[in-house]
Amino acid sequence: MNAMKEMLRRIGYLLTRNRRRRELAAEMDFHREMAVRAGKPDAKRRFGNPVRLQEQAREAWGWTWIDRLAQDLRYAARLVTRSPGFSLAAIGVLALGIGTNIFMFSAMDWAFFQNLPLRDPDSLVRLKRVSPQNSAEAMPYPTAVYYRDHARTLSAVMTQMGGRLELDPEAKALSAVYVSANYFKELGASAAYGRLLDPALDRAPSTAPAVVLGHDFWQKYYRGDPSVVGKTIRLNHQPATIVGVEPYGFPGLGNSGDSVDLWVAVNQQPYFVFASKALTDPGRDIVAVWARLAPGVSAAIAEQELLALTNARRPLCPECVWKGESIRVEPAGHQTVLDTRAIRGLSIVGALGLLILVMTCANLGGLLLARGVAREHEVAIRIAVGASRKRIFRQLLTESLLLAFLGSAAGLALACGVLKGCLLYFGRPTWVSAAPDWRVCLCLLATTFFAAVFFGFLPALQLARQRHKRTLARQVLIAVQVAASCVLVIVSSLLVRAAQHVIFTDPGFGYEQVISVTPGLDEHGYRPAAAQAYLEKLEERLRTVPGVASVSLVRYSPLSGGSVVNAEIQGKPVPVHRNWVGAEFFRTMDISVLLGRAFAPGDKDAVILSKSLAQRLWPGKNPLGRLYQDKSVVVGVVGDAPVSAIHDAEALEIYSPAESADMTSMTVVLRSNGAPEGLIPMLKTIVQALDSNLFPEIDLLKSDFRRQMESMEEVTLLMSAVGVAAMLLAGLGILGLVAYAVSQRTKEIAIRLALGSPKSQVMISVMRQFSGPVLVGLFAGVGMAALSMRVLRAGLNGISATDPVSYASAILIMLTVFSIAMLVPTHRALRLDIARALHQE
Amino acid sequence: MPMFRKPKSDMPKSGMPSGALAMLILRVLHSGPLHGYAIAQRIHVLSSEVLDVEEGSLYPALQKLLLKGWASAEWGISETNRKVRFYRLTPEGQKQLESELAEYARVTEAIQSVLRTA
Repeated sequence: MNAMKEMLRRIGYLLTRNRRRRELAAEMDFHREMAVRAGKPDAKRRFGNPVRLQEQAREAWGWTWIDRLAQDLRYAARLVTRSPGFSLAAIGVLALGIGTNIFMFSAMDWAFFQNLPLRDPDSLVRLKRVSPQNSAEAMPYPTAVYYRDHARTLSAVMTQMGGRLELDPEAKALSAVYVSANYFKELGASAAYGRLLDPALDRAPSTAPAVVLGHDFWQKYYRGDPSVVGKTIRLNHQPATIVGVEPYGFPGLGNSGDSVDLWVAVNQQPYFVFASKALTDPGRDIVAVWARLAPGVSAAIAEQELLALTNARRPLCPECVWKGESIRVEPAGHQTVLDTRAIRGLSIVGALGLLILVMTCANLGGLLLARGVAREHEVAIRIAVGASRKRIFRQLLTESLLLAFLGSAAGLALACGVLKGCLLYFGRPTWVSAAPDWRVCLCLLATTFFAAVFFGFLPALQLARQRHKRTLARQVLIAVQVAASCVLVIVSSLLVRAAQHVIFTDPGFGYEQVISVTPGLDEHGYRPAAAQAYLEKLEERLRTVPGVASVSLVRYSPLSGGSVVNAEIQGKPVPVHRNWVGAEFFRTMDISVLLGRAFAPGDKDAVILSKSLAQRLWPGKNPLGRLYQDKSVVVGVVGDAPVSAIHDAEALEIYSPAESADMTSMTVVLRSNGAPEGLIPMLKTIVQALDSNLFPEIDLLKSDFRRQMESMEEVTLLMSAVGVAAMLLAGLGILGLVAYAVSQRTKEIAIRLALGSPKSQVMISVMRQFSGPVLVGLFAGVGMAALSMRVLRAGLNGISATDPVSYASAILIMLTVFSIAMLVPTHRALRLDIARALHQE
Repeated sequence: MPMFRKPKSDMPKSGMPSGALAMLILRVLHSGPLHGYAIAQRIHVLSSEVLDVEEGSLYPALQKLLLKGWASAEWGISETNRKVRFYRLTPEGQKQLESELAEYARVTEAIQSVLRTA
C-alpha cells in the first residue's frame, strides 16, 4: 500500500519535474542566503557547486536516469545526423539483417500462430485416423456420419471433399469442394452476395441443387457481377442454381479457401457425379473431417470418446475399422499444425535467420570499431574532464540502440513491404494481412535489442576502456563474419547446384509428347472388373488414333506425387517411390530398359527397379532374378526417372505390374508422334463415347513439368541472392575492418617504408594478423555448413550434403572475395605520402 | 579485474549514519513545521553544535521524506520575509518516528549492556 503510494508520488514528481526543480533551487538558494546572513561568509565556497548539490537532491526522486537517457539520445541523434553516410550504411545493413528475420518470422507467425479468421478457432479440431500400421488424413463418408451422429463431445462435425466439375457449354474444368451443409454456418462466414449453404435448406438429399461460387472464380469468370446469383448453370450437364458468392478472404479449412471455384453441398455429390458411391462406400478415405469441441471439452476427452465409439463400431462394420485404430484430434484453428516435423523445419529457418543476423551484427560491429578510431580523441577528452567510464560506455550503447531502432524500423518496413509484395504477386492467401501483429512486434523488439547489444557491446567496451590497441575484438568479429557467411554461401551453393542439376540434366523420361488421361472411374462407382473392361476398351481405341505412338496404364499419373514405401538397404529403411504400371509404360514415358525386360501382360509378383535402387540393393551384382523383399522377382532394371519426385535428384523408384484391384483409379498415359496439343479434343470424345457420364481430366505432361521447373528456378534464384548477399556483406565487413587496422598502423607503415623496407614485406606483415581469423572462420564455417546440411537433407530431398564441387567453389570464391577485401585497403595504405604521414602523427 | 574503475565517490558526507539524519529531521519536525535552513539550525543547536547538517545531505533526505510520505511541504513566509517551503510531520511520519525511536532505544540499550558487561 505504502509502496504503491510512494510510486504514485514518484510519478507525480516526474510529471511536474520542471516546477519541482525550480522550487528546490529556490529553497536551496534561501538556505545559502540564511547561512551567509548567519555569519558564515565562507558558506558559498564550503557548500560546493550549487548545480551539483541540486542534482544530488533530485536523485532522491529516482528519475535522473531519464535525464541522462535524454541527454545520451540527444547526443546520439546529433552523431547520427552528423555522418549521414555512415548512418545510412549502418541502418541499411541492419534493415537487411533484421528485415530478413522479421519476414521469416511473419511467415511463421501466420502459418502457425495466428488464428484463422473463423468463428471460435480455439474449439476447431481436425479428426484423423491412426493405427500402429496405418494413418489417413481423411476417412470414408459413412464413418464421418457415424461420429457426427454419436459423438457427444463434438458439437458439430464438418466434412470436406475435393472434386472437379465441368461447366457447360465450354466444358471448363472447375475445382469443386463438397462440404457438409453446416460448414459455413459453423465457421461463421456470411455470403458476399446471396446466401451460403445452410443446414436448413441444403441438408436433405432431395433439395434443389445449389452451388456457391468461389470469390476468385466469381471475380474472374463472372467479372464480379452480383446478378449471377439466382441464375441456373449446367455442371456435368446437370442444372444447378447459383445461390450465393463466398466472402472475400474466407480461409476455408485445410487451405481450401482461395482455390475453390464452386462450393457444393455434399449430399448433392451423387446428383452431379453420375453413379457416385462416394457417400456410401465404407472403405475409401475420401472426406477430410473437422469438428467443433463441445463447450468445456478438451481434445483428449474427445479422443477418448471417439476411441470408444470406434471400438463399438468394429463388430457392426469390421471392414470400416482398422486393427488398433484410434482417432487423433488435432487443433485446427491455425493454418498449419505445429508438429515435430514443422518444428524441425522451423528451427532450420530460424537458424539461418539468426546466422544472417549475426553476420550483419558482426559487420556493423566492425564498422563501429573502425569509426571508434576517429572517436578516441573525443572519448579521451570526455574522460579527462571527469566523465566516468560507465557513463561513456552507456552513452556508446545508447548510440548503438538508436542505430538499432532506426535499422529495425527500416527492417520492419522492408519486411512488411516484401510480404505485401508477395501477397499481391501470388494473390493469396487472401485472408493474410501484411501488417505486423503483437507477436511480430515482440520478435522485432527482441531482435533489435539483441542486435544492438551484439554489435554495440564490443566496440563500446573497447572504446570506454580506451584499449583500442588490442586486436582481439576485430579478430573475433572477422572470424564470426567469415564463419557465418561461409555457412550461408556453402548451403546456398549446394541448394543451387542441386536445383540446377534437376533443371539442366535430362530427367530420365520424356515429357514433351506425353498426355495423361484420368477418366475418374472411381468417382462414378465403377467396380474393378468393369473398370478393367472399360480401360481395355479405352486403350484399344486410343491405339487406333493416328498420331498416338504408345499407350499405357499407370496408377499414379506422372508428376502428381505417388506412394512412398520403405525399402530395407543394408539394414536401414530408405524411402522408395513406388508405382504400378502397365506393360508399355516405359516405352510411353521414354524410360530406357537397361537390363531384363519391361512388364508383360500376366506378370505377377514381378518388380522392375531403377538403376540406382538396384545398385544400392545389390552393389556390383546382377539384380535380375533376385527376390525383392523375399517375394517379388526382379525382371528388369530401368534408368533413373523421378516421375513422381522431380525435385529429388536421388530418388529411387520401384515399379510393379498394375493390379486389378486398382483399376478404378488408373490413369492412361500416351505418347504422341508429333505435337500433343491437337489430340486433346479427340481424346475427350473417345473417353465419353465409351461412357457418356465420364468427365476425364486430360493434361499435357510438359505443362506440368514446366510449372514445376519454374518454381524450382524461383527457389534457386532466391538462394543465389542470399548467397551473394552474404558474401558481399562479409566482404564489405572485412574491407572495413582491414581499413581500420591499417589506419591504426599508418605510422608504423610509414616508418618501415622510410627505412627502406620493401612494400611486399610490409603488406605481408599487415595482412598476417587477418589470415588467422579468416582461416579459423573458414574452418568453422565449413564444419557448420556440413553439419547443417545433414539436418537440411532430412527436410529437403535429394541434395548431396557432401558435393565437393560446391564446397570447393564456395571456398574458392570466398577466399577470392576476402583477399580482395584485404588487399584493397592495404594497397591504398602503402601508397601513402611518407613524410606527411609521419608529420601528422 | 573489474570492468570499470570505481568512480570517485560523489556521495554526500554527512558525518553520521544516513538513517540517523532522517530520524533527527522527523524528531525536530515533531514540535512543529520548519523550513530547511531552520531544520539544519535546530539540529546544530540542539546537538550543542556537534552535528553540522550540510545542504548536500539535508535536501536529498528531505526529498526522500516527502516521497515516503512522512513529511509534507507547503509554502510559507520566512522570518526574513521570503517565500520558502515549510516541512510538516504527517501522521505516517509520526508513526515512523515512533518506530525508529523504539528501534534506536532497543539497539542503544543492547550496545550499552555489551559495553557494561564485557
